[in-house]
Amino acid sequence: MADSDNDSGGAHNAGKGSEMSPREQDRFLPIANVSRIMKKALPANAKISKDAKETVQECVSEFISFITGEASDKCQREKRKTINGDDLLWAMTTLGFEDYVEPLKGYLQRFREMEGEKTVAARDKDAPPPTNATNSAYESPSYAAAPGGIMMHQGHVYGSAGFHQVAGGAIKGGPVYPGPGSNAGRPR
Amino acid sequence: MVMAEEEESGVSIQLEFPKGRVKKIMALDKDVKRVSSEALFLVSRSTELFLQFLAEKSAQVAIEKKRKTVNLEHIREAVKRHQPTRDFLLDELPPPSQPTKPDRPTQPAGRPKLDPPPRGTRRIDLFFRKPELDDPAQAQPPENPAQAQPPENPDQDQAQSPVPVDES
Repeated sequence: MADSDNDSGGAHNAGKGSEMSPREQDRFLPIANVSRIMKKALPANAKISKDAKETVQECVSEFISFITGEASDKCQREKRKTINGDDLLWAMTTLGFEDYVEPLKGYLQRFREMEGEKTVAARDKDAPPPTNATNSAYESPSYAAAPGGIMMHQGHVYGSAGFHQVAGGAIKGGPVYPGPGSNAGRPR
Repeated sequence: MVMAEEEESGVSIQLEFPKGRVKKIMALDKDVKRVSSEALFLVSRSTELFLQFLAEKSAQVAIEKKRKTVNLEHIREAVKRHQPTRDFLLDELPPPSQPTKPDRPTQPAGRPKLDPPPRGTRRIDLFFRKPELDDPAQAQPPENPAQAQPPENPDQDQAQSPVPVDES
């Protein structure tokens, strides 16, 4: 499916080679995918101009860079090198897209279930079960009414990061930051 | 509504965007070192949500203006109406004076590049002076005051710049 999408996007972009170089294509999502999702969100009789499609193509790339940059900054502050799912959920809340967090948690739950089916052994090694206190403490700052969020920790590959954020203690010798306090202060 | 349909279909977590492309866009930020599969999944999904949101709002604007085709102005208006989106996106949109020609590259390509001449290049007016003036003047500074011809310099200097040059 991914390959097909790539080919489709490439074929579409090839039609206007004078406008975009091959390297520029990598900076945008394929316009065929963008157009398809736009049309699904619009009324049946609506049409989209070519300029509008191209502008939205740039807008979504800008959105990705915007969210990623915020999550990356958080990782650097906490001396971590890998951006994980929680960083992105936090970034979206911080940047004003908190409406996305709840549906994304639902998607993430199903994603982790699928991943769990594929790598049960690896999952047992990577994800030790967190305590109830950890779950409770984590849920309070980010999203008060999210009972389904318990799945996030079970599937969390970087459990040490989670413990570090919530407890504020250096489990693996990392620096001590007031994670829950700072997180709680920002969105409210 | 689209969300409900997707949830009803249940098991599907198929992403609309190719993962490799999303990852490349994330990696445009040089500070981004590594991204977990969950993070990549969340970015893809959130981008879909953002795109749906932007399309729906743009369609509302188009309907308000009695249009069937969504164009650039409708997108701009939709962006303006949502503060978080406006904060990071309004400056990126093409200027209103050129609605039909959005700049594809992030850098404005329409402007001619005025490259500064390389260092040591002589100004063209030096060729009209007498051969005795061999000092190569820098292109960027207007005039070099170190001139050795008192009878000629006052007229030429005054003609080129209103500020009189003091001779050493």
